[in-house]
Amino acid sequence: MRGRMNAGLIVGGTLVALVVIAALVSFVWTPHDPTLVDAARKLREPGGGYLLGADKFGRDTFSQLMVGARTTLYVGIVAVGIAALIGAPLGMIAGMTPHGWLSELVMRVNDLVFAFPALLLAVMLGAVYGAGTLTAMIAIGVATVPAFARVARAATMQVMVTDYILAARAAGRGRMAIAGRHVLPNIASMLIVQASVSFAIAILAEAALSFLGFGTRPPTPSWGRMLQESQELLFSTPRLALWPGLAIALAVLGFNLLGDGLRDYLDPKLRRIRERTRRSERSGGPTKEGLRGVSEER
Amino acid sequence: MIVYLVKRLAVLLASTAVAGVVVFAFMALLPGDPAEIALGVNATPEAVAQLRQQYGTDRPPVTQFLDWFGGLVTGDFGTSYVTSSPIGPQIGERLAVTAVLVTGGMVIALLVAVPAGTFAAVHHRNPLGAAISAVSQVGIAIPAFLAGILLVFVFAVKAQALPSGGYVPMAEDPAQWLLSLLLPWLSLGLVQGAVLTRYVRSSVLDVMREDYLRTARAKGRGRMGALWRHGLRNASIPVVTVLGLQLATLLIGAVVVERVFVIPGLGDLLLNGVAGRDLLLVQGVVMVLVVAVLLINFVVDLAYAVLDPRLRGAP
Amino acid sequence: MKLLSVEGLSVRAGELELVREVSFAIAPGERVGLIGESGSGKSLTALSLMGLLPEGVSASGTAVLGGHRLLGVPEKRLKGLRGRTVSMVFQEPMTALNPLMRVGAQVSEVMTLHGRDRAAARARTLDLLDRVRLPHPAQIARAYPHQLSGGQRQRVMLAIALANEPDLLICDEPTTALDVTVQKQMLELIAEVAPALLFITHDLAVVASMCERVLVMYGGRVVESGPMREVFTRPRHRYTEGLLDASRLTPRGTRLPTIKGSVPSAGAFPEGCVFRNRCPHAGPRCETEPALTGEAHGYACWHPGD
Repeated sequence: MRGRMNAGLIVGGTLVALVVIAALVSFVWTPHDPTLVDAARKLREPGGGYLLGADKFGRDTFSQLMVGARTTLYVGIVAVGIAALIGAPLGMIAGMTPHGWLSELVMRVNDLVFAFPALLLAVMLGAVYGAGTLTAMIAIGVATVPAFARVARAATMQVMVTDYILAARAAGRGRMAIAGRHVLPNIASMLIVQASVSFAIAILAEAALSFLGFGTRPPTPSWGRMLQESQELLFSTPRLALWPGLAIALAVLGFNLLGDGLRDYLDPKLRRIRERTRRSERSGGPTKEGLRGVSEER
Repeated sequence: MIVYLVKRLAVLLASTAVAGVVVFAFMALLPGDPAEIALGVNATPEAVAQLRQQYGTDRPPVTQFLDWFGGLVTGDFGTSYVTSSPIGPQIGERLAVTAVLVTGGMVIALLVAVPAGTFAAVHHRNPLGAAISAVSQVGIAIPAFLAGILLVFVFAVKAQALPSGGYVPMAEDPAQWLLSLLLPWLSLGLVQGAVLTRYVRSSVLDVMREDYLRTARAKGRGRMGALWRHGLRNASIPVVTVLGLQLATLLIGAVVVERVFVIPGLGDLLLNGVAGRDLLLVQGVVMVLVVAVLLINFVVDLAYAVLDPRLRGAP
Repeated sequence: MKLLSVEGLSVRAGELELVREVSFAIAPGERVGLIGESGSGKSLTALSLMGLLPEGVSASGTAVLGGHRLLGVPEKRLKGLRGRTVSMVFQEPMTALNPLMRVGAQVSEVMTLHGRDRAAARARTLDLLDRVRLPHPAQIARAYPHQLSGGQRQRVMLAIALANEPDLLICDEPTTALDVTVQKQMLELIAEVAPALLFITHDLAVVASMCERVLVMYGGRVVESGPMREVFTRPRHRYTEGLLDASRLTPRGTRLPTIKGSVPSAGAFPEGCVFRNRCPHAGPRCETEPALTGEAHGYACWHPGD
């Protein structure tokens, strides 16, 4: 069932690996203390042990980027984890009882949550509990639940009509057993792809929140806040905006490419499912759910 | 068609009501009593009680909610506890600015994405088509506020052709108004355009493989003629979904971009409200944004019915 | 006087030769059947005459229809012929019509495209829908494709094909996707309205009822051609023979004769006679390619049956 390695997988995987390595290494070593404020090094030019120079507080940019990668991954993992743990089971339940009230309820709630983007949730949570990494992660996670639920539901509905599920049901297997033994393994690849794509969106959201001051709080380094701090110096020291901006863009690109690459790699099963969807759409007309499924990437 | 419309409308109204409850309940969790905050620590209990009565926060939550939610329908968002000024007019004024920002962004996104995506699909076998796909993939990875900073760097810092921020109302100076919005529009529009390009491309590619395009060519149309007459409307149906989702993204992206360019829109108002702990203001702005997203969803549903006859018959 | 004459038509996709040196002719008013299993190249032959080959696939040779060359001429010239001089009905009626456009508009489009004014086209649309035996033409014209059945949609396709009174109608398995009960009516209708007909099918019975002459294709080549009655009663090529044996009704209890093996995939056919790896009579001679020999009844076989 595995396909061949493809360009997206290689490039995306490499970029993601770079971010992960930077984050892991930062636990044991960074060139300098990323939070050390030193007036003598204020806006120090790159070179002499300061690979990318220092910011207006004299903090080493390269060290900050490394620790920022940690923040980025941390927020992404927790947010996507929340979304997957809530969204996937809900989607599976809805998909296994496609015409029941439960399915309808799940999808309605889904639509409602969809109306609360991560940023609004983070602002609301921040207003109540004080903004920080935790509120940002929860906000991004909850806002990503609908995407997982939709993908899980669509994939489950397709698996449920296959012969082996019918056989398992005919054999009198319980719902839980079918869900665990048959449905989950078969929709896992779709969920993995969704996780990769959602991770990219989570990175964008975290950067935006930190930029606005609703994310990671100082002194913990964060790419989004590095950008925000550098904005006033854009006229004099543009490199301070360049590096975190590049880091965000490359990390997002990496996870997006990885998602696309995985989708192709995990073919032919995904392709089969996609084609079946297209056929059913043709005969029955396009359904909003079907269309949403493909457009859930952002 | 009527049944479909009524059903969608019912969903819209119900969602709005539930969203109102969620927003209200969330803000009710906020620690601290607005009256106490307003009067400071040295206030007498009598003064606090009086102010509470004046604010109406001494009433049961359900009454407060109904009063607030009922007011929304008439555009009455209450009076700020912090600035003592009515919130409705402020929101209206800021909403107009944000709406202009989002609309301009969307127009730019469409102007970029429809030709680029169609071209990339038609030429998907040659390098130029692949190059467009690659560029759009990179564009997707750049958040709007980063695009804003990049554009400021290029057009304001290097070329010194455009202002790096600030907003001039149209009534004051239409030319300056346009100039002050150009970079914000571009930062929203180019990024969303990149996202949209991918969907337009895959949608047009799908349509190009459809049998009815071959039928159109068998009638005597050329490749492009068949695509133009029979393909684009079919291809637009999935794109409309994405457009709806994107409008929502743009609305939220605008909040951040307003910060970058110091534009007095809804996002600016929201963030100031949070900073000043102006509970009722935050509640009102959040509600407006949420309703806007719900409304966009509703319009997308209607657009389907207009575009696709197969949905019109369906209940 | 021939209406269509095809000489040495070859279709290739890059290195791969999918159709090789196909030659045949159709007289005005003649109904010719093109038989073959899937993968024999019969649909590609038809599509190359329409200039509708998929991307990356190209045709060479000559094909002349009523004085117009069909191969190696610019798309601009072909556009003017398609839907006017030559029309085609496809296999899959469910997807062949634009789902977002009213049926009437799709029929009149083919007429306005070739110069008829709107009002005349609209009026003629109703006549055409009536001619293909659709009940309540006015109502059908206002309908969208999803409101019609497969058989009705195929009739609409036929109406589109006939709209400009073409000289030649090409039908590619037009009834394969339809219910058996609808098939027969559809075939009778096609036989009745077709000017000259190139009818593609894998169903021998259908050819027998529709056509005066048949071409049998296998492995991208015409292996036998001739008057329908003669080919069916006295097949010379061993492939045709096998095909006929396999479709004959056999008495209860006897084994249905089949052709051994299965059709190779494109590019995997043997050198020489394309059928020799499945032919019970194959010998060393078959390693060289047999030419299509014989006048009215031609066959490409070294050891023909009789």
